[in-house]
Amino acid sequence: MKLLKPSWVSHHGKPIFSVDIHPDGTKFATGGQGEDSGKVMIWNMAPVLREEDEKNEDVHKMLCQMDNHLACVNCVRWSNNGLYLASGGDDKLVMVWKRAAFIGPSTVFGSSSKLANVEQWRCVTILRNHTGDVMDVAWSPHDVWLASCSVDNTIVIWNARKFPEMVTCLRGHTGLVKGLTWDPVGKYVASQADDHSLKVWRTVDWQMEANITKPFNECGGTTHVLRLSWSPDGQYLVSAHAMNNSGPTAQIVERDGWKTNMDFVGHRKAVTVVKFNPKIFKKKQKNGSSNKPSCPYCCCAVGSKDRSLSVWLTSLKRPLVVIHDLFDKSIMDISWTLTGLGMLVCSMDGTVAYLDFSLDELGDPLSEEEKNSIHQNIYGKSMAITNTEAQLSTTIIENPEMLKYQQQRQTSTQTNSAPGTVGPESSAPKLNSVMNGESLEDIRKNLLKKQVETRTADGRRRITPLCIAQLDTGDFSPALFNSVPILPSGSSMSNQLTPHLSSDSSPGQPSSLGFRPSHDPMLTSPPANSLKALEDNNEGVKSTLLLTSASKIEPIKALDSRFTERSKATPGLTAAITSTAGLTALDSRAKESSSTPAQKECKLKEDTSSDSEDKMASINKNLMYSKRKPELMIDGGEVVEKRKKGRPRKEKMTTSMVQSFTQIIPPSEQETRVSVPPSAVAALRLPTPSTQKAFSLQVSMEPSVFLEVENEVTVVAGSKLSQLRCSKDGRDWNTLLPSSVVTAAGSSDLIAVASEDRMLSVFSSCGRRLLPAIQLATPVSALHCTAHFVMVVTAGATLSVWDVQKQKALVRNESLQSILSGTDTSVSQSLLTQQGVPVVGLSNGKSFCFSSSLETWSLIADKADSLVQCADFRGCLSSHDAPVSSGPLAVMQGRYLNAGRLASRLSSTPHHMQQSMTLAFLENQLASALTLQSGQEYRYWLLIYSRFLVNEGSEHRLRELCKELLGPVHTSATTSWEPTTVGFRKRELLREVLPVIGENLRFQRLFTEYQDQLELLRNK
Amino acid sequence: MAKVQVLNVAVLDNPSPFRNPFQFEITFECMEDLPEDLEWKIIYVGSAESEEYDQILDSVLVGPVPAGRHMFVFQADAPNTGLIPESDAVGVTVVLITCTYRSQEFIRIGYYVNNEYTDPELRENPPIKPDYTQLQRNILASNPRVTRFHINWEGSAERMEDSENVDPSSNSMLPPSCLPGKAPPIGILPDNSMDCL
Repeated sequence: MKLLKPSWVSHHGKPIFSVDIHPDGTKFATGGQGEDSGKVMIWNMAPVLREEDEKNEDVHKMLCQMDNHLACVNCVRWSNNGLYLASGGDDKLVMVWKRAAFIGPSTVFGSSSKLANVEQWRCVTILRNHTGDVMDVAWSPHDVWLASCSVDNTIVIWNARKFPEMVTCLRGHTGLVKGLTWDPVGKYVASQADDHSLKVWRTVDWQMEANITKPFNECGGTTHVLRLSWSPDGQYLVSAHAMNNSGPTAQIVERDGWKTNMDFVGHRKAVTVVKFNPKIFKKKQKNGSSNKPSCPYCCCAVGSKDRSLSVWLTSLKRPLVVIHDLFDKSIMDISWTLTGLGMLVCSMDGTVAYLDFSLDELGDPLSEEEKNSIHQNIYGKSMAITNTEAQLSTTIIENPEMLKYQQQRQTSTQTNSAPGTVGPESSAPKLNSVMNGESLEDIRKNLLKKQVETRTADGRRRITPLCIAQLDTGDFSPALFNSVPILPSGSSMSNQLTPHLSSDSSPGQPSSLGFRPSHDPMLTSPPANSLKALEDNNEGVKSTLLLTSASKIEPIKALDSRFTERSKATPGLTAAITSTAGLTALDSRAKESSSTPAQKECKLKEDTSSDSEDKMASINKNLMYSKRKPELMIDGGEVVEKRKKGRPRKEKMTTSMVQSFTQIIPPSEQETRVSVPPSAVAALRLPTPSTQKAFSLQVSMEPSVFLEVENEVTVVAGSKLSQLRCSKDGRDWNTLLPSSVVTAAGSSDLIAVASEDRMLSVFSSCGRRLLPAIQLATPVSALHCTAHFVMVVTAGATLSVWDVQKQKALVRNESLQSILSGTDTSVSQSLLTQQGVPVVGLSNGKSFCFSSSLETWSLIADKADSLVQCADFRGCLSSHDAPVSSGPLAVMQGRYLNAGRLASRLSSTPHHMQQSMTLAFLENQLASALTLQSGQEYRYWLLIYSRFLVNEGSEHRLRELCKELLGPVHTSATTSWEPTTVGFRKRELLREVLPVIGENLRFQRLFTEYQDQLELLRNK
Repeated sequence: MAKVQVLNVAVLDNPSPFRNPFQFEITFECMEDLPEDLEWKIIYVGSAESEEYDQILDSVLVGPVPAGRHMFVFQADAPNTGLIPESDAVGVTVVLITCTYRSQEFIRIGYYVNNEYTDPELRENPPIKPDYTQLQRNILASNPRVTRFHINWEGSAERMEDSENVDPSSNSMLPPSCLPGKAPPIGILPDNSMDCL
């Protein structure tokens, strides 16, 4: 064992109450008392581990300090994933910190430059609920919850996924709660308090599982903390301060029945902290010794008020090592490295000690897999796999199919993250600091002129500050922290704006965080040697200035007090008075005056860089513009199509469906629509096409079918006849009609024409009349044919659909009243799907289809729907299936869907809100596709929906979906389950959904369950 | 914790002639929307000897302050030379920027200011009556002295409770001396012995 006390780890002599090593072992945090506040500090681990790093001045020792806590910090804890740091203090607050990317080293404003923060940790959430000092915080396994305990006798469980949401508040202690620990499998959380009790709480219902008081009955006096710990195998819980035969002990509580038969004895004063080594060990195999399997054991460190530290192995009856006089005061906290071989201990005396063990001393640590299998053996698989990703990396993949999908997913994520593919999402947040194409630098230059200044009623000046960043957008310019006007922020800001900048600055390389050479040569920061020259210059100036102002030192001392003196109006809180040396002030003054030429130089540089930013902005605008163009083209295209009525189309159209709806409203009728009063309340009237002398249209592409109509051609005995001519694949047929044809439509199977006398005639594709002429009540407004369906919207606002094959009405004179009523909306679009479902689009942006089975109008699309605006499912779009652009749903929703996606990028909806919106939107889409009987679209949205559920982890919905698709495994006469839906076999759909589920290891149970059942059914 | 953190103060137009207005570009960050305005003051210390020569150059209200990062330029006229003792006109003095919320000062930023004649001749033989037109004001912008005070950011009801937090009881628990340098060598005890048993 090696022991080191790194003297540079200190809070300037103030007590250090807590220490925690980052899971990746590269840094550690300390918490304690600061000058006049609580203090959290983050330190580099490398100088602790290696002497050469300690001596190397380029290796930063302190990485960051945070003075934000108002009062002493009692506990600091890293989340298991290492992304967050939680700290709790006497100010009743729990703060959660996150590393801010993009920000280079900076100083806290007003502190001396030596204490530069190499890393920036920002407080992302403040958790307020406690009414007393927070004594301990603990992250649950997999960072699902964060627990905090306080002298207000409560324990608060926070939802670590949705800070600052509170899950529950555990009440029951009658004294100050001073320690917390989670069961490694996440089933329990245990707390110890001054009320002479240790309580175990269930995480299932947050009720008390056990209340252990016996070992604590004799306890007298108080300790500052009572940090208890759970063994990594979950079998034992070891308390802090307990008593046995009037001797202080650390009580061992067995998980099995919460028995208290054993304890760690030997410390002379109360035990303050117990910390289990995260590893489980087994005896080191020695050469020549028999290979009998040894029982795995745990290792535990115990710190006490008697200033000594003992380390125990559960396989030994005596401690492995006891260290006395390591500190001058009580031990406050212990933290092991994740490797299990290193340990940091901190003390009230403000020092920290590092202990380094060897494998010979502790034994061979079990691998994570072995540890996991121990958990599985003891607690079963379901307990070992709690629903989180973090641990899933260690989860055993039980199903070969699952393995396949997992690998697929990995390769796809790798290709996605390949360099050069800068997604729109990743570049978006970086542009936050540019407002309206104006860089922060431009703003700063004109701030005085631009800022809004008003006078209050009593004549005082009031300035409205310029908001330069929202709080949640994360990362801002670092260099603003420096005091020199404009100069450094220029280079760093532009650094931030360079789109190539990635956020993956790896930990342990703090130097890479500094001024990164940017890609644009213009933006590089001034070379180091020029700065050096400046410094040399300073030396001379400094000495002369010192001479001239030496006589002024006396008054400066008098002035110093003014810096810290509080204005008289404030309530009398004691202010810490910092001592100052006037000489240093003058030094820097010298630097200041001599650096003016350098500033000018840098200002020049700065100008060029802001120029280049302008350029970037204009390029962005160009990009925006060109993006818009295709949209305009589409619009134009539609207009052109409408005008081309007069002659046969030459260009091929994508589908007959699109064709049929572009034909609805010929240009001539536009005026009629305007002239017709839109809602004459009693009699709704829809516009009708006017009679033309002749017209032609293509009704189908495959095979290509052209219709030509010539009205009033042949005059036989004074009567006029109309001719309908049709050419299909070069074969022509024609027929005569007694009245002028107003409108015509067709599909590959049918031709339908409506004539002036309100007659509807239907012919086969070869010209055979299929139905006798149908008399309509009012003239035809719109006519559609798809497959063997004919749809008519009459001027009297009724809708009919016939199935010509079955000679049956699907929809009979259904009034549009219900969807048109009230507002002055009109029908802007109508179409008939391949399945014979009529769809009507209205001018107010809503689209309805008539469901003949439900006999109701169903809303399928609403352009004003805010769900569409905010739904964000881009992450669930698969590159494999192209979006269905031709389905009725897509036609009716069209480009608005895309607009919605863009809108979601712009809005800053909180994640859980957006998640619910997206869920609701996707479910709408599914239901609409189902009602429209649009199979392809149903399949498309089903896959997106299931991918979304898998991503967001909604197991209940997923299960219900699978259940519905699988149907009953055994069929009986009473089974009413339909094996198909919208033309798909449901089980085939399930077969497609399962791989999606397989991408998330969390759902491997669900995956296996349904995979097995599908196999079973297939073999039947 | 303090709801408002001052991130930076940039001294603009510095050095400048004595009669030019002071300009400070202040950047601050606010944790949450503030219901009331912040009040900023610039105080010029006329003489080190006595506070009676302090001049409040200007005070402004700044608001509304929603959560986020903000900046503004605080401009205030140069001090009234008539109120400055003639002996203290040339030399080092101090300018203070303070900010108060609900009439409680929570930050005080101080800068040394050096007032000097630019003309070497005047510097050698300064006139008895200071010639303010020839004086140059140089604020030592690189070395701000920042003092932060705990205040009650919520309503006034909690004021007393809040002051409990500042009670330095934890401070008093230990002497200011800490252990510099390496810890004394500690012998490793033989395995499996614990003499405190």
